[in-house]
Amino acid sequence: MSLHVVFKVAGAEYAMPASEVLQMESFEGATPVPGAPPHVAGIVQVRGKVVPVVDLRRRFGLAPQAPTLDSRVVIGLHGDRAVGLLVDSAREVVGVADDQVLPPPPIVVAEAGGLVRAVAQLGKRLLMLIDFPKVIGDEVHHGA
Amino acid sequence: MSERPGSELSEFTGAFVAEADELLANATTQLLAAEEAGRKDQPHPRGVREAFRAVHTIKGLAGMVGVEPIVAVAHRMEATLRRADRTATRLSQEALDLLLEGLRTIQRAVRALAEGRPIAQPPPALLEGLEALDDGAQVPAEGSPSTLAADPLLEKLGPADREQLRQGLAEGRRAVRADFFPSPERAAAGLNITSVRERVGAHAEIVKVLPLAVPVSPDAPAGLGFALILLTGEDDAALGATYQAPAGAVRSLSEPRPVTPAGGAPLWPGSDVAEDAEPLHRGVVRVEVGRLDETMERLSTVIVTRYRLAKAAADLAARGADTRELQLILRENARQLRDLRSAILRVRMIRVTELLERVPLILRNLRRTTGKKVRLETDAGAAELDKTVAERIFPAVIHLVRNAVDHAIEAPAERLRLGKPEEGLLRIRCVERSNAELELSVTDDGRGIDREQVARRAGVAVPRTDAELLQLICRPGLSTREEATTTSGRGMGMDIVRKIAMEQLGGELSLRTEPGRGTTFTMRVPLTISIVDAFSFECAHQRFVAPVATIEEIVEVSQQQIVRGPNPAAAVAAPARVGIMERRGQPVPLVRLDAIFTLPDAAEHAPKVLVVRRGGAPLGFMVDRMLGQQEVVVRPLDDALVRVPGVGGSTDLGDGQPTLVLDLPALADYFTQVQEGVARA
Repeated sequence: MSLHVVFKVAGAEYAMPASEVLQMESFEGATPVPGAPPHVAGIVQVRGKVVPVVDLRRRFGLAPQAPTLDSRVVIGLHGDRAVGLLVDSAREVVGVADDQVLPPPPIVVAEAGGLVRAVAQLGKRLLMLIDFPKVIGDEVHHGA
Repeated sequence: MSERPGSELSEFTGAFVAEADELLANATTQLLAAEEAGRKDQPHPRGVREAFRAVHTIKGLAGMVGVEPIVAVAHRMEATLRRADRTATRLSQEALDLLLEGLRTIQRAVRALAEGRPIAQPPPALLEGLEALDDGAQVPAEGSPSTLAADPLLEKLGPADREQLRQGLAEGRRAVRADFFPSPERAAAGLNITSVRERVGAHAEIVKVLPLAVPVSPDAPAGLGFALILLTGEDDAALGATYQAPAGAVRSLSEPRPVTPAGGAPLWPGSDVAEDAEPLHRGVVRVEVGRLDETMERLSTVIVTRYRLAKAAADLAARGADTRELQLILRENARQLRDLRSAILRVRMIRVTELLERVPLILRNLRRTTGKKVRLETDAGAAELDKTVAERIFPAVIHLVRNAVDHAIEAPAERLRLGKPEEGLLRIRCVERSNAELELSVTDDGRGIDREQVARRAGVAVPRTDAELLQLICRPGLSTREEATTTSGRGMGMDIVRKIAMEQLGGELSLRTEPGRGTTFTMRVPLTISIVDAFSFECAHQRFVAPVATIEEIVEVSQQQIVRGPNPAAAVAAPARVGIMERRGQPVPLVRLDAIFTLPDAAEHAPKVLVVRRGGAPLGFMVDRMLGQQEVVVRPLDDALVRVPGVGGSTDLGDGQPTLVLDLPALADYFTQVQEGVARA
């Protein structure tokens, strides 16, 4: 049983372990960084730290949407990297038992480009567990 | 140097200011220690001696630079201190007050000298006061340490040294004499008087080092040596082992013992030659920060050259050359440059204990103005931080100390009534975190912050958490006191502390408070920051800054002055992103920043042009308008997602939003490369 932060992107529910989430912030706009990949919304300042924000809609290849009052930045930790994920909303933390986690159907894996590492089934709800390092492109993290 | 005849003198003045600052700080610390000891009714001969030395040195240096007002004050202070040292008298409170005032007067004169202002004459009241002390001086009763052995060497000690020994014995330590004779073999083993002092000093308090003349022997090939008079809790064998001393070199002075001929007679009775010959801080070089900055700038140019080298290698590889060997060397070179950079950054680090040395003096003044009793505990271990960070964080520490004494710690009578110790406790702790951050906390055992009162004053609901309370008390201008006090006004200043910690240093501030028990403010700041003087400007509604040093000139041009050439690749509607303007008879290529960055809503303004130079050729960046010039704290943009050419980092202009710090010369290089790439394709 481990706690997961649940967030919504374009109507679908995603989750990542709460232990990998540093904090959640409401989204008040990011400073665009010219030349960064298109799915990078920009940088924000969180408690004095500067953190890049990945727009999950763009990262997932979904239609972009103007931020709303519900928009949140979920700041995840991977090693010493802190990266924010811009999501439509995030307001829930749920417990997920090990036996509720299923490997994703291969067809989903192929479609999602490996960004989903598992599916958690909570009753009728299906949560897609994202592969955070892949989402933030850790495979390209070996310097310029 | 020949074009500036005064340069040697001004360089010397800089050195004098640095040296005097350190000596003044040392003298202040020593006098405060003497005062503290006096409160416990103990003499503090070492403190008086050190203060004397510092003042003596200041006088000598000031004489060399020709600052008479400093010489005048130092001369009278020196007389008072010398007498106290020679006669082992305790300094009266009046004398301490005058001496500390004297140090402050010298400090003001040093500041004035540093800033090129005229130096005021010292207040006559101070000089007269110091002279009056001399007139009314009384000679103390002198006695020899009763429990000391009858070593004739002891007769060469001054009264202050003997007092120091007597005090040490009273504290249960032993008086020990350790002899050291320099020889080539010992020097080869790293043993000289300096290293012996250091080694022995780690295990004992060195009261005095006396030179010895002895008959030449295999053990003392030069016939010269040193006797270290020590106070220690360790046994003779352990002390001897610290410097591989031959048998008999370390002897106790605490019990009677006949003098061996090998001990010899002091060469220069009572002289301080051996000690005076040694500099105060061995192996320490004082450097102006400006020089370090210059070193760093030089290194940046090397790094730029390395980028060009890497690019040249990549070009070679693109043309089919085998560059594997070259790539290996380049990687090695990159690593070396990184190491060199961090080595230079380390040079800029100062110890936090050094930073906190000034706190006791401030606390002393606070004690006097508030009539409160406060004890200071500092615990900074070996933590270090960048000089620039230290300079910025110190005012915040002072604010917190003032607030604690002024508002948090109760008056002695009230504390007693509350069942607390009469003396309040102020604790400053500093620990280095693993992630290149420093945590500095200021804790008091005072009354805690009254949430209800703060809420009432701010006219808001009572904050539920310490974090909410912190936000409230950091509101600009919020007062939590009915009446203004002389030391910290109306308890304002938390907004300043917050600004320093969060905006200026990019750190965090947190609070923990318990009613009746006390309050802790904790600042977390990065160990190093990079601060540059930068222009801020706007382009396509986005704000940017660029270091002033990278910009050669800012020019205003009208659309008519820009000559535009053909650009067949661009879409018809897009505004041309490249142009040419005339500047001092030279054509200067112009590029639109918004076009390079493909920013939306590119307006055709009468633009400002920031001219940079790369490899000798100027290039102008067109932006919409200039906003100002200010010092900014640059935070690196390390994450791979946002590491892009031309962006050197990010800063906060005070709005809580990151603003990009542009490296325009690098952007110019990048743009040229892209153009060349287009041309090749």
